[in-house]
Amino acid sequence: MVKKRVAALDKVDADLANLQYKIRRDPKSYADDFQSQYQQYSSQRDIFLASPNTASSGSIVSFRDLIDLVAHVADCYPEFTTTFPDDLKSILTLHHATLESELREKIVGSLVLLRRKEIIDSTDLLNILFPILVATPSKTLRTLLYQKILSDLRMSNSKATNHKLNKAVQAQLFNLLMADRASPKGLWAVKITRDLWKRQIWTDAKAVEIMKEASLADNEKVIGGGVRFFLGGDKEREELEDESSDDDGAIDIGKLKHQVGINKKTKKKAKALEKAVEKVKKIEKKKKQPHPLNFSALHLLHDPQGFAEQLFSKHLQSSKSKLNLEQKLLVLQLVSRLVGLHQLTIISLYSYFIKYLTPRQPSVTSFLASLAQATHKLVPPDALEPLIHKIANEFVSEASASEVASAGLNAIREICMRQPMAMNDTLLQDLVMYRKSKDKGTMMAAKGLLSLYREANPDLLKKRDRGKAAIMGIKSGVMKERRFGEEEVGGIEGLELLEQWKEQERKRKRIERGLPEDLATDEEEEEDEGEYWAAWDVESDASSDSGGWINVDSDAEIEISDSEDEKPASKKVKLDAGKEGEKEKPPAEEVKPTVSKLATTKILTPADLAKLQELRLEASVNKAMGNRAQSARLKELAARHIDDELTAEQIEGFARLRKSTKEERIAMAREGKGDRREHRSTQALRREKKDAEGKSTTNREKARKKNFLMTLGKAKGKGKRSLTETRRVLKGHIERSKRGGKRGNIGK
Amino acid sequence: MGSSVKKKREKKKDFQKTKLKVGKSNTKPDNFTDTSFKAKSIIVNQQSLSADAPSLPKQLHHYLDIASGSRSDTQRRDALSYLINQFTSQPVNATIPIAPLFLVKKLVPLLLDGSDSVRTQLLKLFRLFPPSGLIHDAEHVLLYIRAGLTHLSARISTDSLSALEWLLEVAKDSAVSCPGGWFKTIKCFLLMLGWSTTDKSLGWTRSNSSFGAIGKAQGRQLLVFAQFLKAGICDDHPLVQYDPGNGPPLYREAYMTPTVPNPFAHLNLFGPPRDEETEMYMDIESRQRVFQTHFQPAVEAGIERVKKEAGEAGRSAAVLAKVVRDGMASYSSIGNIL
Repeated sequence: MVKKRVAALDKVDADLANLQYKIRRDPKSYADDFQSQYQQYSSQRDIFLASPNTASSGSIVSFRDLIDLVAHVADCYPEFTTTFPDDLKSILTLHHATLESELREKIVGSLVLLRRKEIIDSTDLLNILFPILVATPSKTLRTLLYQKILSDLRMSNSKATNHKLNKAVQAQLFNLLMADRASPKGLWAVKITRDLWKRQIWTDAKAVEIMKEASLADNEKVIGGGVRFFLGGDKEREELEDESSDDDGAIDIGKLKHQVGINKKTKKKAKALEKAVEKVKKIEKKKKQPHPLNFSALHLLHDPQGFAEQLFSKHLQSSKSKLNLEQKLLVLQLVSRLVGLHQLTIISLYSYFIKYLTPRQPSVTSFLASLAQATHKLVPPDALEPLIHKIANEFVSEASASEVASAGLNAIREICMRQPMAMNDTLLQDLVMYRKSKDKGTMMAAKGLLSLYREANPDLLKKRDRGKAAIMGIKSGVMKERRFGEEEVGGIEGLELLEQWKEQERKRKRIERGLPEDLATDEEEEEDEGEYWAAWDVESDASSDSGGWINVDSDAEIEISDSEDEKPASKKVKLDAGKEGEKEKPPAEEVKPTVSKLATTKILTPADLAKLQELRLEASVNKAMGNRAQSARLKELAARHIDDELTAEQIEGFARLRKSTKEERIAMAREGKGDRREHRSTQALRREKKDAEGKSTTNREKARKKNFLMTLGKAKGKGKRSLTETRRVLKGHIERSKRGGKRGNIGK
Repeated sequence: MGSSVKKKREKKKDFQKTKLKVGKSNTKPDNFTDTSFKAKSIIVNQQSLSADAPSLPKQLHHYLDIASGSRSDTQRRDALSYLINQFTSQPVNATIPIAPLFLVKKLVPLLLDGSDSVRTQLLKLFRLFPPSGLIHDAEHVLLYIRAGLTHLSARISTDSLSALEWLLEVAKDSAVSCPGGWFKTIKCFLLMLGWSTTDKSLGWTRSNSSFGAIGKAQGRQLLVFAQFLKAGICDDHPLVQYDPGNGPPLYREAYMTPTVPNPFAHLNLFGPPRDEETEMYMDIESRQRVFQTHFQPAVEAGIERVKKEAGEAGRSAAVLAKVVRDGMASYSSIGNIL
């Protein structure tokens, strides 16, 4: 064969890669070669700088390749390449708009590479890249830079939080926002912060501060970004976390072990199993780790009152703001959430709502939801009363459409739930009459209002509407009207329940061990303590918690008490608690309840707190026993977290179902049923599904499919049987079915 | 498992052989795509049909563009040889329609061209120019020459040596005094010769760097280096004679309108600040000083080493040694006086 002539291009290209490989292996011997290449690089750079626009990529060793080479081996010769990062930096910052795109990408990549080799540090890199990200007109470059900046920040925060870098970057983003409030460049700050927040790299107040400034900017996009962050950033973060924890469970160790047992045993497979086991262990360990405290962005705000006021006056109240209705609604949602969550006082906010509370207002349900959200128990009833009247007048009347009426009633209920004093008796009695309405949505909304006031303030209702529990409560003096601003006296709600429960658990355990149930010995307690320390955390088993059902036992009770000398005290507490439980039984007795000492003598673990919440719910559900609607409502209430927002859907309530068209309803009914193309029996569908999953058939199915000819012989014989034979066969059949088949299921 | 007859039949179908029949074409496969087409005429999109040939300058420009921009190296080479033909066939007194300065600027990136024939043609073309046109533009050309000198490909670097020789012929002063012309070029030479200034190994053997030339090629490198140094540090200007009655006697140029563009370039009034490497070294003394402080020890050590090897390289080294001795003689004397 003729020897192929190698073109100069091929040779040289090969040489650079080869040289890089050689240098990596033995930097000292190739110092000369590197130096000449570096010289080559610098002459190419000079050529480039002489005319940056007309740089040709045609020459056989392109500038790009030289940059690549030098960047890759720069860590081997730090003394020669001191100016290299600065060169790249100046080329990029001066000529990024006109550079050829491949060369530009190479330079960015090389800078990142230098950062990874720790020749320049993260701060330098970000200082180079960030101004270009903000300034460049090229979309591809922006995407590249954004990605590089994010990955660099993630990398430098991967092992431990790099506070110094974070602070520097945050300051830079903050300055970007503050420098020019009207420019859309601030969007980059919003984007970066949101992304890092989502990945839980930034979880501190400074990041929230950046977003706060963003939502107070002058540019609509920046405002939207900032506000959306506060409304949805935390949810996004949780979702991401859930996703990542879902991914972990992908490995099924049992299955792997089974496979190894069946198939041919090789070293490779054994190693794979080992690796899988290791991975699972790692994941377990990660799961067991204490959960980092992540406060929601709304809680990390510094001066929420000022922030809410500024938002309100700047974007909503002022006539200069250029936001459209959708954006205004977002801002309003944020303001009202802040007000509701932190119990802020912005009196003018409530009068702002008045002009939007008509059924003709677009997306009025969102306004209603925001209004309800902005209500809390420290809002003066005077401010709310006209609003409730307006809602009642505009929405709730015989003449208005049923959806409108139900939305109005729902809104009033939500407002009154948060501030019951905003209602007066005549209006309430009028509204409650709607429970006789023919429309289901309206009826349910009115009933909701009724049951709310049966608990909150039954005095406002007519006597016959109050219900048994409320009348008894008023008589016995348990139920009293609460004044404005009055707070409940006492420590932790439901603490005595926890104590009681603990006592019961203790007794149960002692009975299990066969000891007398009353006295606790010292050794036993010590033993218990060890156990409790081991089970510090709440069981992360999601299935037991998320159901919300009340009587679930957590595996171990948990208590912490310090050392020997404390013991007598704790014992005494327990005795007290026991007595207290007895005392509570006769309710007519007027005993001033002693304040439980549990919280002052012991540290409540997260598991304790979870149990406490559970018991509290149980108690409230028990109180409403018999009244199904009320208990259902309570359950729903319990499911809703205090931080969760109130949405327009909740205000629309039952009416939403009605509004759907026939197609939607059909689609809803079909949902989850799988598609059936032709009409077939359910049996056939099930069979098909099983086939698709690769499952076997049942005996009955096998019998049904059996070839007709094969069954003929037996069928013929059947006719000729004598009576006794028939009896024997039938008996045998019965016995077999009892046993569970021919072989039976004894072995199981 | 096909349990029914139908399924079995379907399965069988896949494995049946198709029968070939005489006089009939094969059945087409399922995924057959018909690519044949019929057209009565083929229309070429662009064609020029002018009757008269383009003028000479236009043609020259056209070929110049091909030479500098074409992707195929044969095209570049042919364009260059066309240009050479044009210049040689012109009568001696005829002016060339393109300014040589422009030509050089456009063609000089070809010094780094991958194809040998292109580079030889280019050098041939350069030698055709009158030596007058190029004097002020050595910096631009020198950039490419330096890039060529340290090029990975040995042939490119030898061709760059010839280019440097040519440059020293046409623009000697400008070559050594342009920004970066003195310092950087010497540095390039040292790297090329493997006499890098930082090499301090004292062992018996030293690794010959993969690009360092030996023997004849090294001799040539040394000779060109000697020429370059001679242009820089050897003062061969004739002494100015006093000529009464002919204007101001000494420093006559200083009083006249400058003949070169940008005569105050060395002051660097508008450019970015220059460091030691990119500085312009206008006079012999400053060049001597730079040479002495940065390069002389390395060069002398290198010369000693090569001299021992004898042969052609040794002889060239002797030439170089003489240049260094002559050039630095005047400097040291001045240094002693100061």
